[in-house]
Amino acid sequence: MSADYSHLCSAILEQCFGKVVQLVADCLFSATTRSLSQIASSTKLSRKEVALALAVLVKYRLVDFSASQQNPFLAEYALRREDVLCLLRYPRYVHLVQAKYGNVGASIAEELINSGSDTATGILVKCLTEGENKSESAESYRNSFLQMITDHYIIKKPELLSSDETDEVIPKFETNECDYYRHPNIDLQLLAKIRKGEATVSEAKDGHMVWTLNYDRFHQDFRDSIMIDAIERKLGENAAECFRFILKIMYNTTDPWQRKLSNQVTFVEIKQTIEKKSNNLDLMKYLDQYISLITDDSLGFLRRVGDMGGGLFVVDMEKSFESLAFACVESVITERFGSKAARIFRVIRCKKYIEQEDLQKEAMIPSKEAKSLAYNLFQEQFIHVKIIKKPGGGSNGPAKAFYLFQVREKDTVRMLLDVSYKSLYNTIERSNFEKNEHKGLIEKSQRLDSIVETMKERGESDEYIAEIVETFTPPECEILKKVKNRIKTLSKAELTLDDTIFLLQMYQHHCTTLPTGIRKFK
Amino acid sequence: MAAEVSQLLLAVIQGIANGATNDDLTKALPDIEPATRVEALNILLQQGGIEILKKGEKLVYRARDPEKKSALPKDADNEEKVVYGIVEEGGNKGIWIRDIRMKSNLNMIQLNKILKNLETKKLIKAVKSVNASKKKVYMLYNLEPDLSITGGAWYQDQDFEVEFVDVLNQQCLRFLQMKRDGAEKKREGPLAFKQMSCCTVNEVHKFISDLGISKVNLAEADLETILKTVVYDGNAERVRLQDGSFVYRAVNSPLAPTGLVQMPCGICPVIKNCSNCGDVTAITCEYMRDWLD
Repeated sequence: MSADYSHLCSAILEQCFGKVVQLVADCLFSATTRSLSQIASSTKLSRKEVALALAVLVKYRLVDFSASQQNPFLAEYALRREDVLCLLRYPRYVHLVQAKYGNVGASIAEELINSGSDTATGILVKCLTEGENKSESAESYRNSFLQMITDHYIIKKPELLSSDETDEVIPKFETNECDYYRHPNIDLQLLAKIRKGEATVSEAKDGHMVWTLNYDRFHQDFRDSIMIDAIERKLGENAAECFRFILKIMYNTTDPWQRKLSNQVTFVEIKQTIEKKSNNLDLMKYLDQYISLITDDSLGFLRRVGDMGGGLFVVDMEKSFESLAFACVESVITERFGSKAARIFRVIRCKKYIEQEDLQKEAMIPSKEAKSLAYNLFQEQFIHVKIIKKPGGGSNGPAKAFYLFQVREKDTVRMLLDVSYKSLYNTIERSNFEKNEHKGLIEKSQRLDSIVETMKERGESDEYIAEIVETFTPPECEILKKVKNRIKTLSKAELTLDDTIFLLQMYQHHCTTLPTGIRKFK
Repeated sequence: MAAEVSQLLLAVIQGIANGATNDDLTKALPDIEPATRVEALNILLQQGGIEILKKGEKLVYRARDPEKKSALPKDADNEEKVVYGIVEEGGNKGIWIRDIRMKSNLNMIQLNKILKNLETKKLIKAVKSVNASKKKVYMLYNLEPDLSITGGAWYQDQDFEVEFVDVLNQQCLRFLQMKRDGAEKKREGPLAFKQMSCCTVNEVHKFISDLGISKVNLAEADLETILKTVVYDGNAERVRLQDGSFVYRAVNSPLAPTGLVQMPCGICPVIKNCSNCGDVTAITCEYMRDWLD
């Protein structure tokens, strides 16, 4: 966790939930756990405000709480720092669901996002009353909901344990892994009644089962698509399709977030699956060749580990994300320092340790240029220097030392990740600034739009409407257009930036032992 | 008298390949007075027929190669001979002026004069080393400087030829890509495609020679270094074959330009200093303003 990330979290939370929640979260960010009174005293907010903010955060699954070890009557709150960033990924989640389950699924996901977490009945009622596609029946909504649970995109939150002992004040939760994806009973008749106003949501029997989006499942899909896209760019469509099937087979036996290697997959399994599910003749004909192509490729996605079952393969997540993350680092270097610098970077990575003199010879760059590029890279912490001191020297002059360039991969990635966080923070800040700067104008145009809307409904004459519209002068119009464009560019940048962040986070998950945001639901 | 003795002595010295000591000479020619011997040796030294070496405490006389001797004109004086000899020893690696001074024990002014003299007579030449541009080394005029001095094909007058290397780099890449595109059209399965898109250094060498872009003759080893730069640019891959040799093939990058570089912060030179306060902030950022408008 860096300072950059803490700024980013703070900005995201302010954007989503407002100032009070931001203050509370900031206070939690800097500590492992805090109690309610500690938060209240350090934020100088009233206990009621803090409690409300915490309730919001708990509902959105951003804060965990548990009883203090010293005092079982005192609850301690902790922020799930990694999940804050997921708030920005909501458009991507909805988009993915839309592609898989159509509009019905998308509106379920949107409702789940809006409410943070809710019961199945509650979500469906909201979808049915507020959803845009009212033509869909309640049944299709229910089926999509259940299907999303089956596919693990929706997960059940731990159930509240009803304890009889009165001395336990802090609620406890039951976490039962096999319970996460058990279908709830959704009473369609009750749904209909609620819609007619004859019943309320609280009458539903599934009140104890609260559902929420399962981020990890979405991230798994994002990760797969990064890998498949990489194969497609490098080895073509057929190889990409082949790899997609390999991943699918891999998930049958492997925990998707296993860090280094997957469990083994046999050639026969791959062949059978592809014969059953694919109608790509080219792929079937040359299947063994495609697999050996992926295995031999320098990206190192797939590794052959034995001959059983026509060949035994593992998906090497560590190597994969090392290759991909450094492709990303190299592209940043190319854009920032030029292609010669990227060449130098690759030479250093390839040689592990290299001296200045050898570097320029290997990269075929004149010594002056090579020096300045290497020093620039060093200054920006893309590369590092290892100093090996020769013993001796003593009194006569300084001891001889060798300065070797090297890339400390984890440090480089973390540095770049921090830059990405900072950039993301900058886009949010800038976008807030633009909105504030032209607040009056934006509000005016919104007011005008609503006036015109009501006038149209009332059936006023077009001339009169045009007259009203003209109160918005052309220069104002122009500025507004400009500002809207800026905000649009910024929010687009936010989304593309997240690609980089996601990739680098995957590197951290698969290539290091650092704790990451990915964890089993607790 | 002394001249005759000197011929006798030369014959004896030439007979012993490692050089004759004083004892060898007295043994071979016992009936010659030491004074006459000294006189004869001096004549030989003046003519350049022999040289004196020191082996431990003893002096050793060795015959000189008559061919080498001929390079130096007859009128050269002693100092010139000494300096010429030192330069000669340096071979095609050359010798630094400081080392000449140390070995010859001549003072700087005199040495400079001699070196200039020898240079104008085209007996020796000064060559600038690529490793240190100010360091001049001297070697015999007819020698081809060593690769470590000239830097090989990539240097012209001690300057690294960036453009030449860049052009070769582009051409090599173009060749690899052409080869790949050719293989793509044939549609004979993925492995055949991969094999056909690989090129050996030899093929690339032939292509570059046929293009005629290089005035100098490039060796295959030279082209291999160029091909490596293509690999380091991330545009090609070096594949090891089963017999241990390497082939090269063009490849695409596995990632599209990453999101970070699509906005100014990704390529910002002062991102380190960027924060909420101070001179560099997101709100006053000029890069950001240019990008948004």
